[in-house]
Amino acid sequence: MPVSTTPRPALRGPGPSEHPGDPAQATLESLGRSVGAPAPGTAPAVEVTDLVREFTRRRKSPARALNGLTLSVPEGEVHGLLGPNGAGKTTLVRILSTVLLPTAGRAAVCGHDVVREDRAVRRLVGVVFGGDRGLYTRLTARENLEFWGALQKVPARLLRARSSELLDRLGLAEVADRRVEGYSRGMRQRLHLARGLVGEARVLFLDEPTMGMDPVAAREFRTLIGELRGEGRTIVLATHDMAEAQALCDRVSFVRDGEVVATRSPHALTDLAAGVEFDDLDDAALALLTDLPGVTEVTVGQGTTRVRTDSEEALSSVLATAVGQGATRMRTLQPTLEDVYVQLIGDRGLKV
Amino acid sequence: MSNASVVRHAFRVGARDYSTIFTWKTWLGAWFVRVLAQVAFFALVGRMLGSAERTQYLLVGNAVLLAGMVGMWAVNMVAWERSTGTLPLLAASPTHPAVVLASRGSYLVADATVSAAGALTVAGLLFGVPLPWARLPLALPVLVLVAGSAFCFATFAGGLLLGFRSAQPIVTNVAVVTLMALCGVDVPVDVYPAPVRWVSSVLPVTHGLRAIRLILGPAPAWEPILVQAAWEALVGAGWLAVCLLSFHAIVRRGRRRGTLDHSS
Amino acid sequence: MGTLAAGFRLQLRFYRSYPDLLVPLLTAPLYGVVFTLVMRDGHRPDLVGSASLAPFYMSLWWFALFSGGWIIQTDRWEGTLEHLVSAPAAFAAVVLGRISATLLPAGFAFTETWVFARYVLDAPVTIRHWTVFLASFTVTLFAMAATALLMAALFVLARNAVTFSNSASFPFYVLGGILVPVAVLPGWLQPFTRPVFLSWSADLLRAAVAPGPVPHPALGLGAIAVLGVAAGLAGGVVLSHILRRLRTRGELAIT
Repeated sequence: MPVSTTPRPALRGPGPSEHPGDPAQATLESLGRSVGAPAPGTAPAVEVTDLVREFTRRRKSPARALNGLTLSVPEGEVHGLLGPNGAGKTTLVRILSTVLLPTAGRAAVCGHDVVREDRAVRRLVGVVFGGDRGLYTRLTARENLEFWGALQKVPARLLRARSSELLDRLGLAEVADRRVEGYSRGMRQRLHLARGLVGEARVLFLDEPTMGMDPVAAREFRTLIGELRGEGRTIVLATHDMAEAQALCDRVSFVRDGEVVATRSPHALTDLAAGVEFDDLDDAALALLTDLPGVTEVTVGQGTTRVRTDSEEALSSVLATAVGQGATRMRTLQPTLEDVYVQLIGDRGLKV
Repeated sequence: MSNASVVRHAFRVGARDYSTIFTWKTWLGAWFVRVLAQVAFFALVGRMLGSAERTQYLLVGNAVLLAGMVGMWAVNMVAWERSTGTLPLLAASPTHPAVVLASRGSYLVADATVSAAGALTVAGLLFGVPLPWARLPLALPVLVLVAGSAFCFATFAGGLLLGFRSAQPIVTNVAVVTLMALCGVDVPVDVYPAPVRWVSSVLPVTHGLRAIRLILGPAPAWEPILVQAAWEALVGAGWLAVCLLSFHAIVRRGRRRGTLDHSS
Repeated sequence: MGTLAAGFRLQLRFYRSYPDLLVPLLTAPLYGVVFTLVMRDGHRPDLVGSASLAPFYMSLWWFALFSGGWIIQTDRWEGTLEHLVSAPAAFAAVVLGRISATLLPAGFAFTETWVFARYVLDAPVTIRHWTVFLASFTVTLFAMAATALLMAALFVLARNAVTFSNSASFPFYVLGGILVPVAVLPGWLQPFTRPVFLSWSADLLRAAVAPGPVPHPALGLGAIAVLGVAAGLAGGVVLSHILRRLRTRGELAIT
């Protein structure tokens, strides 16, 4: 059920598999157009070029949170910003939501510059931060939502109905008239999402939205976000949780030290960094496995042997070989964020 | 832990809470200016009425009230204790709660005494009120009594109000103005009808203020001063007893229902 | 306009959720009792009328200081400030809407004080100069709102805002001449009273309920208006400074 009162075609950006992200092309497109009033659907939802943000520190050189970050997100895409804490994801979201000014570089939302046209940008974006704060805890969910809706310039005649609709949709209808102070993390987070949606944002920024939630609540929340995908909204999801990014995103940008390291389809991730851990591998089997094509790393620990491969096919042949050699106790290894970085760009320039 | 070390630690915790609000500079530059202005606000009425005697009455009354006022902050202290989740620890500790409360609040009593004595002295000098300076130190122990009995009263009130967060500032403010109205601070208690006078006699400040007025009066006699001071101590002890009884009741009920650690 | 209204409504909801914001409405009658008793006990029935209205100014100042002054700071504590800034509505309009809502309890405080004085304390508070009264009341509420705006902006920047707001009551009651007229204060203190809008307001209100003509009404009204405008402008300047600082430095913390 779409929240919008005016029906909008479900615009989907170019699919990640057909069009594995061509920032250069998008940049050229946006450069060729006047910045003032872009036609909807033609400008990328988010266009960031060489963005730098420094924070001054006392008696120290400035800290660089963003170090020439470049990113392009077409309209309608769910785009993940995946990176460890401190990678610059939150700084990027804050700049794109006009709360923070960049030190250098350019950032635009739907063709509107976040510095010069901040008012236009504010009408287009919705922001959802994770965590407990950011709501008036002594007011009810409905009061909170109606207040934020008014600030998003939702016309008064629509506000009441839209708030009720959103509260209902996010499963808060029954508690809508209770004070937020009694809410659980998950309930607060759903209210945060409702706040992000109340203004009919075309671009939604979600910054670690499931932070601190228990696994069940986080799964429900992801289901909700998944439902938003079909509505033509652009969603930028900043997270350090790879499973979350994989489950929700059309494309994922890996952010590290204030830069985008690579942008990939999340399906590519499953091929990356796969591996198996064996408990009962004998030396003969070990020798066979080490020589298989696609095996990148073999580590022998106390009673266990880890074999890492660079593709699904390689993994299959490792498993087949090992089973043929009589191995029975094994488990597959989930790639860590670090594994993915190593696989994506090798050890080049990584400070672990 | 010995009682002495409990006292030392609890005092330190209290003092740290306090230092988040005041440093000695802000205490002197902001807080003391405020209490001085509070005393002056009323003493000026005496001057407007053109009576030196009334000026002194208002000045002394409002300076002593400060001791009670600062003691009343214990209402908030109890609330902090609850919201920081230390109340269950307090209930579970082998130390008697009276010892903990007393040491936890001793910095308040100290501040109350210093505020009141300081304001009395400085306002007295500013207004040229002929106070018997040599006898002023005698007022100090009585100020401690006033602050202490207000502290006990406030701790009891704070205990009652646990769970009503918005009520604490309301009660502190209303209680201080009530003390101002009923305890002979600005007008003698005699102007009120008998039932109000009974209430006034079980409130903190009333008797201690009387004792201090006698100490600073023209012909101080030991006996009535000691009697009034003893009454003030008795009032404080009474509130302390009520407070401890209610504390035990809260803990008993809390253990039964498991509500002790809820910070609501 | 919608934003102003949203801010206004929000503040009213806060008054319901945080009843302690309305504490002066409870203490004002008690102060009224104390002040009138002192005047009566001092055999000055002629001062009872103006003394019984003095608690109104205490309430007014309290609202400016506490319910106005902490507006932005509470948003910082709640973590809502960034959302306010990133919303398309003008931040200043939200603040103004919330501050104008503080005029409501302030207006109510006057009614309460007057009714209590007239019918419970039996004080002579008949308004004799309606024009002066209405004009001074209006411009006083304006100056109060402007002062609240200035406080709201300053409290964000001030390191010792809590200490200040806890300490700024009685010193300003003295300087505002709300119970004892400024003319009775010692001469060295008098220059400090004139920048406090309360001192002009209290003089005018006392004159409005007193027999005889009102001395220099235009001067008083003008002074309140000028002080209000000055506070409002200063508040606006500090507010835009805060917003700039938030966006350039990324935080408001005092370091």
